[in-house]
Amino acid sequence: MIGARILIVDDESQIRKLLTVTLQAHGYATDEASNGHEGLVMAEQLRPDLIILDLSLPDMKGTSVLSQIRSWSNVPVVILTVHDDETDKVFALDHGADDYITKPFSMGELMARVRVALRHVAQSPEEPVLTLGHLKIDLIHRVVERQGETVKLTPIEYDLLRVLALSAGRVMTHRQLLRQVWGEQSYESESHYLRIYVGHLRKKIEDDPTRPRLIITEPGVGYRLLAPEK
Amino acid sequence: MVQSHLMPWVAVTTPTGPGSSLEVRAFVAATLLVGLLTIIMWELRHIFLIVNIALLYLLPVLTIALRWGIWPAIYAAGLGVLAFDYFFVPPVLSYTVADFRYLISFAVFLAVAALTASLAGTLRRQTHDALRRESLTSSLYELSRQMAAVRDLETLLDEVAQHVSRTFATPVPVMIALPDAHDQLRIAARTPVIDPGYRVNANVLDWVYHHGEQAGFGENKNTELLYIPLKTEDKVHGVMCIGEYGLGTVFNPEQLRVVEALAGVAAVSIARIHYEEEAKLSHLMAESERLRTALLDSISHELRTPLATIIGSVTGLLEGMDVLTLLDQRELLVTIREGSMRMNRLITNLLGMVRLESGMLRLNRQSNDMADMIGVALRQVQDALARRRVAVNIPDDLPPIKVDDVLIDQVLTNLLSNAIKYSPDGSTIRIDVTFSESTMTVSLQDEGIGIQPLEAERLFEKFYRSPTAQHIPGTGLGLAICKGIILAHGGTISARRGSPRGTVMTIELPLEHILIKEQES
Repeated sequence: MIGARILIVDDESQIRKLLTVTLQAHGYATDEASNGHEGLVMAEQLRPDLIILDLSLPDMKGTSVLSQIRSWSNVPVVILTVHDDETDKVFALDHGADDYITKPFSMGELMARVRVALRHVAQSPEEPVLTLGHLKIDLIHRVVERQGETVKLTPIEYDLLRVLALSAGRVMTHRQLLRQVWGEQSYESESHYLRIYVGHLRKKIEDDPTRPRLIITEPGVGYRLLAPEK
Repeated sequence: MVQSHLMPWVAVTTPTGPGSSLEVRAFVAATLLVGLLTIIMWELRHIFLIVNIALLYLLPVLTIALRWGIWPAIYAAGLGVLAFDYFFVPPVLSYTVADFRYLISFAVFLAVAALTASLAGTLRRQTHDALRRESLTSSLYELSRQMAAVRDLETLLDEVAQHVSRTFATPVPVMIALPDAHDQLRIAARTPVIDPGYRVNANVLDWVYHHGEQAGFGENKNTELLYIPLKTEDKVHGVMCIGEYGLGTVFNPEQLRVVEALAGVAAVSIARIHYEEEAKLSHLMAESERLRTALLDSISHELRTPLATIIGSVTGLLEGMDVLTLLDQRELLVTIREGSMRMNRLITNLLGMVRLESGMLRLNRQSNDMADMIGVALRQVQDALARRRVAVNIPDDLPPIKVDDVLIDQVLTNLLSNAIKYSPDGSTIRIDVTFSESTMTVSLQDEGIGIQPLEAERLFEKFYRSPTAQHIPGTGLGLAICKGIILAHGGTISARRGSPRGTVMTIELPLEHILIKEQES
């Protein structure tokens, strides 16, 4: 999806410059806003394909910029945070952010997040078979194959894998996973079930469950199923 | 009152009531004893000779003298003579004396009785004095023994006040005033108010504090409170106020001596606590000075070194675009990346330390999977791990553990980074997890340079760097942070030499049992 238009909302001019230069070099068009209000106005006027939003802005909270955007648009939003504020991160992710990246970040990581976020908008959901490296998930027959061999999964393990795979490359918070696998009425206090089933799932689909390469834990936030990039 | 000096005033002496009723009781007892003896003798008057009877009348005198002192004894002697004369000296049942030789006998009897009584009285007083001295000594001993064990001023003052109050037969109100930071006297301890009528006079209190001499003062006519300075050789530490209501009288000189002695012990104890606090404070200041220096050294060195490589590489790149080959440029860029990563680690550690020390650390405890957390830590350092072998040994039935996963991750990542930093390429790092009823143990063993036997504890001190590892860059903060985090979880962390080589770091975390039903539809 080369040519997508990305809006950068960050008060640090050096970060904006860094992002602009790198994103343009990768073929994206960019616009810059240096505070929350400017960001909201530009988001509405320019209708960007993706927004990179810093959570700590001088004039308003990044999370409220996010919720105002979400009130009228489904544009993918990748948030920028500093270390040590897991609660803000989780709050933003649970309130509509697509992904996050922690400062200081490497450009490779940022580009991967941007690509995944853009892909999820473009993706047609009707694809019946998902292929993730040597893992194949048949959504119609609910069959999972690893290197050609069928993997026996319990219903919950299968649902968990399906939810993660449909959002491959994107972080899923504990709450999002609980809601989508166990249903709306699940409680966050049940998050230890989630950890148990992730453990079971890893034993069945990872080469080395102690050093997982498919289902990655994001401490304090949730899980991410890493899709090998094509 | 004649015998007031014989009143027991030290709590441990004979339990008797106030003076006047004691007097009455002594004379009543003397009367009864003489009466009883007379009745017995009357019945037996045909068996005893009159001389025997006269001698027997000395018995009540002796008894009374030993118990109540000289005056009731002399009364008993007089009463005895009268009874003896009336009932036994012929003519019987009359005070008339037929044989005048009996008058001499009476005189002798009275003289002997008086002498005996006075000897017995002296003996009694001596016993009494000895008892009183012993009681004073034991009171002082008790107080100083109590004081020696007390470490904080508040408890000390309370105990002194209680003790002084209890010293007298009747509890007296005691208050202790100490100067505050502005040298203003404040009541720092008091016994429960017995008489609400007394008030501490601030002027008197001040005067006693500044002159170091005791004074008695009352708002009305009488002295209500005695103000005693608590002084050691060089300094007045405060003032003790003692109410005299409890006794209903002013203190006699002996009681004053006791009060002064107790005040002396209290003053020494207060001085001791002051000195201890001063010593602790100066030790703390020296320690914080040392830490500040270490922090500055560490930060300036640890920030400058990577900064120097970054600035050098960047300027080299900017100025030498045309001469540097692509490979050279790449090399410089990698240097820049490593330098900035190192600065980032330092800043993360410094912030972590600040959070721990300022008490801002909030644990977000959730039930977590230790295997998962180890996986995350391994992933964090995967680039550096490329040239190490890793052996992870985790039991299949490992229970979940309630910890803050972000913080425990930080600990595991720090420990892994250390293991990598201090061990050679190609060596193995072992991670073992075991658990018991109450604890989960994670141990991390490398095949590196190991630790000195004596530094196992010091490793976890802030800014401590092992002398054997000076050539390897580091701040000495990582392990201090690990210890802080593990302690906050109620666990322990320790280091020991591995066998045959290397270091073993062991974390023990308390295991709360979480009941989990394996339910699946």
